[in-house]
Amino acid sequence: MSDVQKRVVTIPEIATVVEVKDEIQDVKTFYLKFDNPEVDANFKIKSGQFVMLTVFGYGESAISLPPSPENDRFHLSVRKVGKVTDALHNLVAGDKVGIRGPFGNGFPFEEIKGKNIIYVAGGIGLIPLRSSIVHVLQNRKDFGRIIVLLGARTPDDLMYQNDIEEWLKIEGFECYVTVDQKTEGWKGETGYVNSLIEKANVPVENTVAFVCGPPVMFNSVIGDLMSRGLKDDCIISTLERHMKCGIGKCQHCAIGRTLVCTDGPVYTYKQIKTLGEVI
Amino acid sequence: MYLIEKNNVMKLAEELAKSYSLYGPVTDKETKQVFFNKVASASEISLTAEIPSIPPKTVVFPQIERILEYKYDKGSKKVEMNADFDTSSKALFGIRPCDLTGILVLDRFFMGLEFVDDVYLEHRKRMFIVSNTCTVPFKQCFCVCTDSGPVAEEGYDLNLTDLGDVYLVEAGSDKGREFAEKMGLQKAGPEHTLEKKNAVDKSISLFEKLATDNKAWISRVMNRVTTGFIKEEVWEHIGKQCFECGACTFVCPTCSCFNVEDHNKFSGSTDRLRTWDSCSFEGYTKMAGDHNPRHPVEDRRNKRFFCKLSYSQSKKYLRPGCVGCGRCQWVCPGDIGLPNVVTYIRREITE
Repeated sequence: MSDVQKRVVTIPEIATVVEVKDEIQDVKTFYLKFDNPEVDANFKIKSGQFVMLTVFGYGESAISLPPSPENDRFHLSVRKVGKVTDALHNLVAGDKVGIRGPFGNGFPFEEIKGKNIIYVAGGIGLIPLRSSIVHVLQNRKDFGRIIVLLGARTPDDLMYQNDIEEWLKIEGFECYVTVDQKTEGWKGETGYVNSLIEKANVPVENTVAFVCGPPVMFNSVIGDLMSRGLKDDCIISTLERHMKCGIGKCQHCAIGRTLVCTDGPVYTYKQIKTLGEVI
Repeated sequence: MYLIEKNNVMKLAEELAKSYSLYGPVTDKETKQVFFNKVASASEISLTAEIPSIPPKTVVFPQIERILEYKYDKGSKKVEMNADFDTSSKALFGIRPCDLTGILVLDRFFMGLEFVDDVYLEHRKRMFIVSNTCTVPFKQCFCVCTDSGPVAEEGYDLNLTDLGDVYLVEAGSDKGREFAEKMGLQKAGPEHTLEKKNAVDKSISLFEKLATDNKAWISRVMNRVTTGFIKEEVWEHIGKQCFECGACTFVCPTCSCFNVEDHNKFSGSTDRLRTWDSCSFEGYTKMAGDHNPRHPVEDRRNKRFFCKLSYSQSKKYLRPGCVGCGRCQWVCPGDIGLPNVVTYIRREITE
């Protein structure tokens, strides 16, 4: 057992909050830097992985990693939803947090080379998918069509709007956006994200879909994609679970025979189907 | 192999107590319940006591354990962190074969997979184990059905077997052999091996008489649990009887689910505590935002028995997750201990 492995198991590394950015309501992005320069330099992540974040005095939570490792600063986008994330949202630049990780398997980029990629995201489901989008766009020539279908409750709930505008400048990148309830001044689509599948004329041959969002959306989107002819092993999603350790010991994230922390969190729908009680 | 006189056997424990914290089965004076506790003196230990009501997994995996202490000063933005591991040397004296098997299962789970759990490792590193063969089964036992008794096959430093006037002492490790040599124990001959075999055979034959209700035909149901070919009604029937008290998981020698919580203290520092958790509890899988993917009680029961009896879990433990101690049957207010569940599933197969 190496020392590095031993460290990540129970003792968090201390990191400083460098900057806090408001995204949408109840979602903030925290830019972080490890206090130990050695750790900071060696912190390599695969997109699709997650970290265990400690807010000192409150506890630890599993948070997905949105950035791409190559050129982005290490940051976490977090919705305020429980005890730890509430406390996190009160932090300001200069405060310290603890980080263990990264954990999990990450997205299978090698296997999807040369294919069309569809991203279907509901609300903050875009956060874990963002790392994948950034990676795919950086290696644009390895992939076919790249389509992002994005749904949100209201226009104010749309994540990463600036990023999307940047991405639209890249050739062959398509993005379709819809909201459930429009507000004043919204000129785009209204309706559920499923409606975009038809509109974007989503290809099914040689195509992989990444789906992430709330449980209700997940089921209906997958139903629609499958009925268009997309195979279950071409649909990829990242699951979330209540987690306490991140290293496959506490068993909170067990679904049947797999553990989301060490075997996941990225699964194909073919795998998810056999597990039961997933959503 | 060695021999030791019955009235001298506690000398082994006394000697161990010099270099280890000594743990052993102790009968509570008031309640007459047996616990596997840390003892101040070897004389408290009773080798003839029943199996302890709470398994000795408490020594390697305590119910509440501090794994980290930290102090965060918001003003100066300073963090002090101390990993808090129990690094004491421990000797387990008189552990029963089923409970020893339980610890071996935990070893494979905590130390044998992708990540090594360092908190557990620290408990296990400097441990001396003296197991005790069950020459008479207790009323709730079914270790013969789970291949974990009545005699320990591996994992011990010394194994004691009651041969009437003497104990047969077998060394299972170099550490055990050195200790036995140091104690100057008398060597045992082949006749004693035979005597031990007879004692074990006799013990197994007693299961027929004493442990009548507890037969668990593990291998018969393992295939069904693994493949999932069990009717939903069976799990519903089991689920309806479950009180969701979590007792079965707390008394199980192989249950190892835990929760992690940060507790703030008056001193301003915070303890990160690891506590036992149970898959019976409804909040076990509840996520922030109140979404709970595992809701009905039968799903949760299903999960526990999947963990004990499925092939995929057994691959992690290198044996079934059940060690046949019978404690779950003993404590369950809904009468759905593991042998009963196995019976329900088996009945469904045959009918």
